[in-house]
Amino acid sequence: MLIRLKLNGQLREVDTAPMRRLLDVLREELELTGTKEGCGEGECGTCTVLLDGEVVNACMVVIGQCDGRDVVTVEGLGSEAHLLPIQKTFVTEGGAQCGICTPGMLISAEALLRRNASPTDEQIREALAGNLCRCTGYERIVASVRAAALARSSGGAS
Amino acid sequence: MTIADLASVPFERAGDLASLCARVGELADSEQPFVLLAGGTDWMVEQELRKPFAAGAEPRVIDVSRLDKLREIRLEGNVLSIGAGVTYWEMRNSPEVRAHAPLLERMARDVGAIQIQARGTLGGNLATGSPAADGVAAVAAYDAILVVQSRRGVRRIPMSELQTGYKASTREGDEIFVAVEILLPGPDARWYWRKVGTRRAQAISKVALGGVARVEAGQVVRCGLGMASVAPVTALLPRTRELFLSTKLEKIGPVQLDKAVDSDISPIDDVRSTGEYRLHVAKSVVRDFARALGARV
Repeated sequence: MLIRLKLNGQLREVDTAPMRRLLDVLREELELTGTKEGCGEGECGTCTVLLDGEVVNACMVVIGQCDGRDVVTVEGLGSEAHLLPIQKTFVTEGGAQCGICTPGMLISAEALLRRNASPTDEQIREALAGNLCRCTGYERIVASVRAAALARSSGGAS
Repeated sequence: MTIADLASVPFERAGDLASLCARVGELADSEQPFVLLAGGTDWMVEQELRKPFAAGAEPRVIDVSRLDKLREIRLEGNVLSIGAGVTYWEMRNSPEVRAHAPLLERMARDVGAIQIQARGTLGGNLATGSPAADGVAAVAAYDAILVVQSRRGVRRIPMSELQTGYKASTREGDEIFVAVEILLPGPDARWYWRKVGTRRAQAISKVALGGVARVEAGQVVRCGLGMASVAPVTALLPRTRELFLSTKLEKIGPVQLDKAVDSDISPIDDVRSTGEYRLHVAKSVVRDFARALGARV
């Protein structure tokens, strides 16, 4: 089936079996390997992407359901030269350690900041509850999101 | 097999509700296996556990995730209608749900993490029939009516007449869940939601209880209960409900209440918990609900 979707702001077409996972099509045909596979059953959030602006696990979405829709992966957040505040603060606040959860964390955190410019720590933790991290103990990640919210409110958004 | 092995499964997209009903009728007539796919939070995960399909025995998957007709939330008089394809994320953010059925908003916050809330739907959970579904327990507390549709027309099934056994129901093979209707209990109604699991997010419940009640002069005059993960179906706790409706709150004692719960459920051991613990928690949350209504238990 020919699938047309908006991917990171650009129209893309991919001809593939419609019941393949969005995760596999992103990583293979579309060559966007920033989205990682963790558990493969919707538990860990490592494969989190935005589908029409909402956070979803790409391991549980079939590509046939993405025709005509808007998908944003971690590659669509910012470029190396123009990082978003959330990407900068994950670096400066130590939000990333081994890095496997980081793409999903960034997507969930950015989605939160787009709908809530000044989240409380509890709201940050709820927004990230579907993204598991085995390294940081989460404190540095929460600090990174808090710092990104401040940076955005003081005009630091790139 | 895993979700990654589904590539050979045939897929089609439903255009509108009428053509979907016709297509489902045709597939039911020819006894071809099919699945209506919304968010996939139940069905996709179930595929992880099953043996691979025999060649040619794969079900047809029909994508219903974009049927606008299933995604409406409507308030008509004192009936709130929630489309079967409304996601839990949409439910918790709906002004109508927040204002008129706050138990549903509260429950929706507990359905997995936001990634799961953004995909999971009431219709999907009703169709897969898991007795652990939070959403089904919550709508049971409102004595919901399930609206199903087929090429033969529309039919309404009271929640109390839906479930016939583990993942079995009175819905016919060619009928599609299209909406859940709730007769609103009024702004002064009390509601209760408690989910007990291994952690706050992403956990399937060991026990969950939804409760809705109206109390007039110390007497419960409307009561609905839905309990998840304690029976082969969502438990409606009929004897406990009868106790609430037949006895002044001041006369309800803890022993009586525990006995009613005992007679309503016989939970089993499984990977998430033990039957003994579940029964203990079930009694505790029912007492908590009773206390919230004003009983001294």
